[in-house]
Amino acid sequence: MTAKEKSSIYPIFGVGLSLFIVLFGLITAKQVSSLYFLGGTYLILLVTGFHKACFRIIIPVLIVSSVFGVLTYLINQSVPSAVSIVSRLLAIGIAVIPGMSIRPIDLTRNMNQINIPRSVTLGMLIALNFTPLLSREIRQIRETMKTRGAGSVINFKILYRAFLIPLVMRLVNISDTLSLSVETRGFTLSGKDYSVYKTVKPSVKDFIILLAVVICAVTAVIL
Amino acid sequence: MKKAVEFKNVSFCYNNSPQVLSDVSFTLNYGEITLLTGESGQGKSTVLSVIAGIIPNVAPGEISGEILINGESISGKPLSETCREAGVVLQNADSQIIHNTVEDESAFGCENFGFPQDRISRCIEVACNKTGLEKNMATRTLSGGQKQKLITASALATEQKILIFDEPLANLDVKFTLQLMRLLRRLADEGYCILIIEHRTDMIADFADRFLTIRNGKITESEKREVVSNSTKQIPDTSVYSAQKEILLKLKNVNFTVKKKEILKDVSLEVYKGERLLILGENGCGKTTLMRILAKLYKPTGGEYIQNILPSERRNKGSKKWFGKVGVVYQNPNYQLFMPSVKQEIEFNAFSPEYAREITNRFNLEKIADRHPQSLSEGQKRKVTLAAVLAGKPDLLLLDEPTVGQDYNSLFLITNAINQIHNETGSTIITITHDVRCADAFCDRAAVIKEGKVLNIGGKETAQEFFEQLSKEIQL
Repeated sequence: MTAKEKSSIYPIFGVGLSLFIVLFGLITAKQVSSLYFLGGTYLILLVTGFHKACFRIIIPVLIVSSVFGVLTYLINQSVPSAVSIVSRLLAIGIAVIPGMSIRPIDLTRNMNQINIPRSVTLGMLIALNFTPLLSREIRQIRETMKTRGAGSVINFKILYRAFLIPLVMRLVNISDTLSLSVETRGFTLSGKDYSVYKTVKPSVKDFIILLAVVICAVTAVIL
Repeated sequence: MKKAVEFKNVSFCYNNSPQVLSDVSFTLNYGEITLLTGESGQGKSTVLSVIAGIIPNVAPGEISGEILINGESISGKPLSETCREAGVVLQNADSQIIHNTVEDESAFGCENFGFPQDRISRCIEVACNKTGLEKNMATRTLSGGQKQKLITASALATEQKILIFDEPLANLDVKFTLQLMRLLRRLADEGYCILIIEHRTDMIADFADRFLTIRNGKITESEKREVVSNSTKQIPDTSVYSAQKEILLKLKNVNFTVKKKEILKDVSLEVYKGERLLILGENGCGKTTLMRILAKLYKPTGGEYIQNILPSERRNKGSKKWFGKVGVVYQNPNYQLFMPSVKQEIEFNAFSPEYAREITNRFNLEKIADRHPQSLSEGQKRKVTLAAVLAGKPDLLLLDEPTVGQDYNSLFLITNAINQIHNETGSTIITITHDVRCADAFCDRAAVIKEGKVLNIGGKETAQEFFEQLSKEIQL
């Protein structure tokens, strides 16, 4: 089976876009216009090649934000507070979409091209590899807990031990192996003589996406 | 023959720990495959770490003596320099893969070494040709054997001439083992220096030029026959229990499909109460999926699964009561260990504290009973997992590669302990293994799986035929 070839967005733009969505979403969370911004941004991402990530993320994000929105309303009896919490959670969820569409290799090469410190590159590289690993590890541990009779929620101490200890140990092992793997293949924090095999360049579409999201933000402020 | 690596009176100990290497001297040459063997915990992986520069750059400790690579001392050199000479393929190739395609993964080291674009392109072509991989293959879809080849390809692309492999055969079937070993033999013939650290000496001996054994901190040169005779003997079957005629598990035309990919196709199988069924097949043929369906961890996407262990259990996924009667031992023991000591781990869900003690003794775990399970070696962890699951006296025991990473003595001990418990309890045991040495000892009947289908079911002779067929393919 062959792999997909390119990220949906110029990687650094993708990271910047994610940060912008989170920050703007959090700052304007108390206003209803924040929801317009987030809705507009979601639609922009949906029609510009991020549809797979959009469909994957929307249902869990809507469920989580609705649950917390309802809980906040029940506790505070305040609609603005509920809207605020929903906006914040939606902002975080939608911000993940550009990040999900970036291939680790494209981000690494992009960061190398623009001379971002190698420590940041290494961190991003491992973080991007970790996200899919984490969900796989959690699923596996939940399953083994059941097979060893430690899945009962009644015995919280065992539940905690059987979940947390294997998870922490696995994550430590995996991150150790990953960092050892990159180090034994010549990746150094102080390295200066590295090269880039395939140069990553921004396209017109990348600029259009950024511009559209900024227009969406400005419109939300004006409204 | 040109020396690649030379150890001169090297001693090493991790901080505040007993000495692992004691006044060790040996050489590794270009054009040779050297096999390093020894019991678990003797320091084989430490040798790898010292050559690769992981010790003392990443893992600190006290090191003395001289280590030369290509005649130059590596003392004081950073890892980024030593790794330009020596490429390392660690135990779990899966965890070392970072990128999505074979091309990107192979290019990663070249980029770090600052190769220009056209040279990287050439190096990737050469590495892919040598390993038989296609550069646009997606890394997550590769089999275990292909992943080992990919990490090898990454080292070849960076033009490292010294290649070190840490237990490369741990999860490989005979076919992939042979492919990998033939590749390494070709590389050695082209002038590469290859060091393999492995317990499965039976699979490697014919390909290796030299044999080193590590024991009590010392490394000595051994003869091939000595290494082979010490670890290739078939383990005798000590089971005396006869299976009953009662059907315990029955699969009727079972299918299992994930994202339109058929993993199991029309599988029909009966498992009798008290029997030991061996499941055989190549990597990726569907053995583990079949075992997971039998364990009620997966629900079949078609067909019917009938079980008589807990007739009241109607759910497709196993309940707590079900897993009280069904013990599952996974390939990776790290998921199953969570108690603060080995003793508590075995006592957790044990039939009784006395039985837990008895099992501890049978698996020879008394000396490490107070240690934290996660602090043990992989081989020891696997023993503890087996002991912990067996202490629950399960009616059905499902073992997925229970002997991986074990030295011969441990392999012998584990096989006999399981059979002894089987004789006493009459439990039904289903085992997946690639290890020909213990296959017979785990087998009353064998089922051979190929491309998701049951190819053949029969008695011990079926397992023998399966391994004989493989051995014929080896000779070809």
